[in-house]
Amino acid sequence: MNKMEKALHELGEMDELAARSSPIHRLHPAAKLLSTIAYIIVVVSYHKYDLNGLIPHCLWPILLFQVSGIELRTCFYKLRIVLPLVMAVGLFNPLFDRAPLLYLGNVAVSGGVVSMLTLMLKGVLCLMASFLLMATTPIDALCAALRRLHVPAMLVTLLLLTYRYVGVMTEELAIMTDAYHLRAPGQKGIHVSAWGSFLGQLLLRSMDRAQELYSSMMLRGYHEHFHYADIPRFSLRDGLYLLGCLAFFLLLRLVPVAQLLGGLFVR
Amino acid sequence: MIAFEHVSFAYEKGRPVLNDISFRIEDGEAVGLIGANGAGKSTIMKLLLGLLSGEGKITVDGDEVKKENLAKIRRKLGFVLQNSDNQMFMPTVYEDMIFAPLNYGMSREEADRRVDEVLDRLGLQELKHRHNHKISGGEKRMAAIATILAMDPAAVLMDEPSAALDPYNRRIVINTIRDLKQLKLITSHDLDMILDTCDRVILLSGGRIAADGQADVILHDRALLEANRMELPFRFAGEKQ
Repeated sequence: MNKMEKALHELGEMDELAARSSPIHRLHPAAKLLSTIAYIIVVVSYHKYDLNGLIPHCLWPILLFQVSGIELRTCFYKLRIVLPLVMAVGLFNPLFDRAPLLYLGNVAVSGGVVSMLTLMLKGVLCLMASFLLMATTPIDALCAALRRLHVPAMLVTLLLLTYRYVGVMTEELAIMTDAYHLRAPGQKGIHVSAWGSFLGQLLLRSMDRAQELYSSMMLRGYHEHFHYADIPRFSLRDGLYLLGCLAFFLLLRLVPVAQLLGGLFVR
Repeated sequence: MIAFEHVSFAYEKGRPVLNDISFRIEDGEAVGLIGANGAGKSTIMKLLLGLLSGEGKITVDGDEVKKENLAKIRRKLGFVLQNSDNQMFMPTVYEDMIFAPLNYGMSREEADRRVDEVLDRLGLQELKHRHNHKISGGEKRMAAIATILAMDPAAVLMDEPSAALDPYNRRIVINTIRDLKQLKLITSHDLDMILDTCDRVILLSGGRIAADGQADVILHDRALLEANRMELPFRFAGEKQ
């Protein structure tokens, strides 16, 4: 299995994760979507030095991972390519912001280090929340929820078809890389001289396949209106979940929980 | 009923792929469309489905294949693509099967019933909630046929239905095609499969119809087939002519 086939396999695994059954999976997609958006907004809203305030927000995704039966390591494994990029965002902060912000015993910690850690944590938490949403909600149920929230049909269809076509493009890339490596033994990656024609061919092949797929949809009555998954009505349980999440996020945002807890042990 | 009247088509000017083609296929007929690569088999399918437009007149149940009739015509024609991966674009078999019935205005309950009927008929209930990327090539081909039958089409068009299948799955597909009561138009290089599934054969060559008649007569005619870059089906290959 080459890298592309692995990527394709992992994309398929996301569909399988989303098709599982758990209390979180059974929640209305809109409740999950809105709570995730609220969580991301709250997490992003913290000041760059407010690492203390941010730490208790780890509780929500960890709790949801437990209840949904999805292993935390699955999340980190699937996000292994994006995570380093997110971590790299604040990497230069310690170089620019050297003023000491706090002391751990006798060790001075600069504002740059704290802001770097805050940025990293924010990124990781947002990714975890997004992963949880995708891993507990099938894409068409998510699209159905977006439509119920009156997001324009054009945008939702675009999202759904992009998700589908990513798979098509990856499949073509897998076939092409296999064909390339079979005739370039011992070569690592694709040689730079072949990049132009490789990308051009990939685009043409993907367009051909996308055209075939689109024809197949048209021949089965598709006319720019997608029938998304049949999602249940928004129930009291979904409302309570959403309200509970919002209250929890607000509580953590307004009350310095970490400081209060720390105050119990440190005078 | 499908009718082609003096149909011509060219992808490039001056290089016609089809040249003045005329034939009729009646309801319930099973017709095999055969010919060498580039003979125009797939083009005929695409013209019939309104994916291409050429000169001449093509009708389905009296309705001419043109833009304003396409929705009505496509409702009647179920097309099984050669590459099932291009046909199965939803995550699961069930979601793919329900796609067309919902698009044609069926309620979800009705569509569910239709899906179950088709799966029962084809003995594929086990595939219903399987993920498309996790089923084998043979299962995918059967699932692709099931998605088309869920539309309850008046005619079934198939492009190379036995391509890339092992003998066991090929036989399952052949038996399934034989059991279909609809008008069938099948393009294939698998002449043994055509013999098993079709009563009539249209042989295309150089953009024209080289022969149109009973399948067992045309597919037994070594001289005719060889003159048109074809060979006898394997089961007749050893016979002396």
